[in-house]
Amino acid sequence: MTSTETPTRRITTAKAMAEGIALEMRRDPAVFVMGEDVGAYGGIFGSTTDLFAEFGADRVIDTPISETGFIGAGIGAAVEGLRPVVELMFIDFYGVCMDQITNHMAKIHYESGGNVTVPMVLMAATGGGYSDAAQHSQCLWGTFAHLPGIKVVVPSNPYDAKGLMISAIQDDNPVLYLFHKGAQGLVWMEKNPRSIAHVPEESFTVPIGQAAIARQGTDVTIVTLSLSVQHSLDVAEQLVGEGISVEVIDLRSLVPLDTETVLTSVAKTGRVLVVDEDYRSFGLTGEIAAVIAEHDPTMLKKPFRRLAVPDVPIPYARVLEQAVLPTRDKITDHVKELMS
Amino acid sequence: MTEVPFPMMSEEEPDAEGVVGTWFVNHGETVAAGQVIAEVQVDKVSQDVEAPVGGVMYQLVAEGVGVRQGDPVARID
Repeated sequence: MTSTETPTRRITTAKAMAEGIALEMRRDPAVFVMGEDVGAYGGIFGSTTDLFAEFGADRVIDTPISETGFIGAGIGAAVEGLRPVVELMFIDFYGVCMDQITNHMAKIHYESGGNVTVPMVLMAATGGGYSDAAQHSQCLWGTFAHLPGIKVVVPSNPYDAKGLMISAIQDDNPVLYLFHKGAQGLVWMEKNPRSIAHVPEESFTVPIGQAAIARQGTDVTIVTLSLSVQHSLDVAEQLVGEGISVEVIDLRSLVPLDTETVLTSVAKTGRVLVVDEDYRSFGLTGEIAAVIAEHDPTMLKKPFRRLAVPDVPIPYARVLEQAVLPTRDKITDHVKELMS
Repeated sequence: MTEVPFPMMSEEEPDAEGVVGTWFVNHGETVAAGQVIAEVQVDKVSQDVEAPVGGVMYQLVAEGVGVRQGDPVARID
C-alpha cells in the first residue's frame, strides 16, 4: 500500500540538543564541545550523540574530571573568540567550579567595561525522579538565575531544546542551558511521550527570554518549566473532564524572565499556581509571586499558590523522593484547591 | 509487505532478548525509507532502527516488552 501522507520525523529531546549543536558546528568552525564523556559516549544523557563521529576529537573534546579546569578552559577559549559548548555533567557538581562560573564566566564582560565577550554555553543535566539521591537530583536553576551575568534557559521539549540550543550558541553572552534528565527521552529512564516529538530538520531558533503558552485555558494559570511542564500538561488534559480549564505557561528562560506572558495569563484567569522542581524558599516560586504583587495583586481571585521541593535534600528512597517532587497528583490537588 | 526485524546487536548471544525502548512512529503511520522508526536496546546498548522501505508502518510489539534478536518488531505495507 502506498500512502500520500507525509512522514512525521520525531526525535528525542537529547537528539534535538545534539542536532542543534551539530548545525552550529557545521555553520561556524569556532563552535566546539568539551566536557566529561561528550565524545564517543555522546554525553551520559545523550546531549552530544553522534557529534564525535562527525567532528572528531579536535572539536568534541573529552576532558578529565576537573570541572574547574575545563570550564575555565572554555571561558579562556570564549574570550579569545571561539564559541565553546561546555557540559557540566550534573548541575549538582557546581560546587567545585562555582568560582569559574560566577566570578569569571558571568563577570568578565562587566569587568572589562563591555570590551570582552564570553560567548559560551554551559549545559548541565538537572532534576530528579529516578533515585539518584541528594548530589545528583537537584535543579538549582534558581541559584544561577539569582546571580547576575548569566542567561539561563530551561527547555521542556524537543523543539525548544533544539531552538534554544542554537540561540544559546549564537548569543554573545554566557548562557547556562539546563536540561532535565527525565525530559531527554532516554530509553533507560521513565519517559513521558512529550519528550519525543516532531522537530524540523533544518536550523531554527527559539528566542531566549520568551515564555510559551504550552496550553491555553481560562480558569487557572500554571507557571512552570522543564519536566514540570510535561506533568502540568498531563494534569491539564485530565482536568478537562472535570470542567477545569488550565493554562500552562512554559517559562523556557529564567534570565531574562518573560514577566509579560505570565502577567497577561494571570490577569485572564485570576488564579495562579507556580510549579517548580527547585527548592521552595528564596527561589522561582517566590519570584513569580513578587512579580504579580508588584504589578497588581488585585488580579488574583484566589491567594497565590506554589508547589516546589520543600527545603530538604532530594531523598534516594523512591517513596520519599516522590513525596518531595512536584508530581501530577500534587499539581492536580493544588489546581482543585484553587478552583474550590 | 516488509517485516522489520530486531537488529542483531549481540553476536555472541544470538538468542539475547532486548526491548523497543522508544517508538518514533505511531501504529498505522506513514514512514519514508531510511526514517528512524525506533530505538532498541539490548542490555544497556541502544541502537536506532530505520525503515528499510517506505509505506504504512504497524508496530508488532509494545515499548518495554522483551523481544528476541531477529524477531519482527514492525511491518511496513
